[in-house]
Amino acid sequence: MSDKRSSPMEKNINRREFLKLTAVGVAVAAGSRAVTSSKASSAAPKGKHQWAMVIDQSKCVGCGYCTLACQAHNDVNPEIQWNKVLKDGTVGEKQVFLPRPCMHCEKAPCVEVCPVEASYYRDDGIVMMDYDRCIGCRYCQVACPYEARSFNWEKFEGENPAVPEWGYPEVERRPRGVPEKCSFCYQTIDRGLALGKQPGVDQDATPACVNACPTGARMFGALNDPESNVSKALHENPSYRLRENLGTGPRVYYLPAVDKKEA
Amino acid sequence: MLKKLITPWTAWLAFLGILLLGGLIAGTLVFWKGLGITNLTDLVPWGLWITIDLSSIALGAGAFSLCAGVYLFGLKRYQPIARTATFVGLIGYTMATLALILDIGKPERFWHSMIYWNTHSLLWEVTMCVILYLSVLMLETMPIIANLEWLRKRLPRIASTMEGVHHYAPILAIVGLGLSSLHQSSLGATYGVIKARPFWFKPEMSVLFMLSAIIGGISLTLFASMLASRLTSKAKINDALIERVAQFVGYLLIGYFYFRAWDALSMTYAYDPGRSEGLNLITKGLLAFNFWIVEMLLGMIVPMILLLYKPTRMNRFWRMIALFLVAVGVVAFRWDTNITGFLVVMPYVPGQAIAYASYQPSLVEIMAGVAIIAYGLTAFSLGVKYLRVVDHSLVEAEHKTVKVEATEPVTI
Repeated sequence: MSDKRSSPMEKNINRREFLKLTAVGVAVAAGSRAVTSSKASSAAPKGKHQWAMVIDQSKCVGCGYCTLACQAHNDVNPEIQWNKVLKDGTVGEKQVFLPRPCMHCEKAPCVEVCPVEASYYRDDGIVMMDYDRCIGCRYCQVACPYEARSFNWEKFEGENPAVPEWGYPEVERRPRGVPEKCSFCYQTIDRGLALGKQPGVDQDATPACVNACPTGARMFGALNDPESNVSKALHENPSYRLRENLGTGPRVYYLPAVDKKEA
Repeated sequence: MLKKLITPWTAWLAFLGILLLGGLIAGTLVFWKGLGITNLTDLVPWGLWITIDLSSIALGAGAFSLCAGVYLFGLKRYQPIARTATFVGLIGYTMATLALILDIGKPERFWHSMIYWNTHSLLWEVTMCVILYLSVLMLETMPIIANLEWLRKRLPRIASTMEGVHHYAPILAIVGLGLSSLHQSSLGATYGVIKARPFWFKPEMSVLFMLSAIIGGISLTLFASMLASRLTSKAKINDALIERVAQFVGYLLIGYFYFRAWDALSMTYAYDPGRSEGLNLITKGLLAFNFWIVEMLLGMIVPMILLLYKPTRMNRFWRMIALFLVAVGVVAFRWDTNITGFLVVMPYVPGQAIAYASYQPSLVEIMAGVAIIAYGLTAFSLGVKYLRVVDHSLVEAEHKTVKVEATEPVTI
């Protein structure tokens, strides 16, 4: 009798435990799959090069050549600026400027929120857009702390006013209905590397905005190479990044303009 | 002859038809010319349509909450109301889908969200849940669609199969509860995870969206049922049932009011860039009327009193007013939340002051938005007339016929 009473009880508990274990197992498996399979969710993978840009605000004169070169090389609608030059107060009597490309964040909110993984990290840290995959929901625009993304509200048709004076288009025009942004001129970097050139040193491998700058205010190079110009500039000078408190880890660094008299 | 044609019913349908036609024109223009003809900008990329989308999902939440109540918590006698709620839910979710298709820049790629998964994206999760839940709602409404006279006469077998889905209601209720809890909260989290906009960045967002959706969804279902029963004899309600659920809504409102008030007002004690400006907008600025009058007073306090004070709750007119106000308040909450986060433009240049954006929906946006609402009204009206969507006397009969099948007058 006691056997009969106890055995179903045991069975019951066992079954319950079994179910519990199964549920936990399935949940863990599903969870780990979700985490590992999601390319977007992990931080940017560390490739051979980790590109970064350094912008020296004491050298920037706000001429906007960078913007024009960018618009030509990337065939950008004149109403859109991937690289915006903004006023940033004064130091002494001098107007200071702040050019703002895409920050290519290490923890990019746009990549995290994109529902279709149209925004993604390249191994070299560049935050890329797959314009063929994007559905145009604009959540990335909502999430970007730097207003680095512009939506194609209309189709860009006709001639690009920045061509040919500022360069020739190297990438396809984006269609209507997707947001677009700076790509660190990945096409130039990739082609330059293939030709054995060094981005940031050889013009053929360097983003258009860096080449176009008449005062040498922009530097480009690999952050993981201690001998690169960007690493040296950051080592020798105080620098800051935009909205650093958000923890996005921008790959664009600024060397603040300082008052020469005070310094 | 003409007099026979012009009845209140046909006039109502004609009126809705005009609105739908306007929407058809607006929608065609949007697909043809692109989103450039809207007043959306890079600073305010989500506007009127996203509010309609969020609101129709929220107001469709009566389906999962009432189905959960009926099939999981054993409140079987409220089944007739859950039935209406399911239909309202289906309408709400299809409205949301319509709004989203208009709102995305590449509508022809809507299916990408099913193929390319970013499991970390709240919007991905919402999309998946909405698609799956829409399927659940379709299954749940099968027995309702089976009420169509034409279907019963012409395809009795299909009709009876569709009716049979009713037996899976408890399972569907469980699945629906899971999916709804996920995406109703995630819609709030869609805003809540955006660190770049401090006005949104808080964990309460998902809780508030979930809670307000349950309250608004139930309220809209009750209101629609009562209104239908006033306007047509096709809708038959059991007022005692509605009155009990309405009282429950009254109690829920206390909780919602408590959370919403603390959520908004606990921000006041220190200056927090972006968040303080947002709070200023909703308490003293542009949206103050929306916040204090529509959301707080008319959306919560007034209906709370009307629904908890017995004489007004027993009075059908006041109860209807109260339920309607609750739904309006939930819509206002969605609008205020969405727009405030955009109007406050956070500077990224160090030391720069916070700027303000502006947004007024364009005519095309309004026409398309109104048409989406008109579609919802049309679907509900047709449902009441032809599918007995609001018929609280129906279900008891249905249960009896399951037991005594021989008495069912099947027409073959």
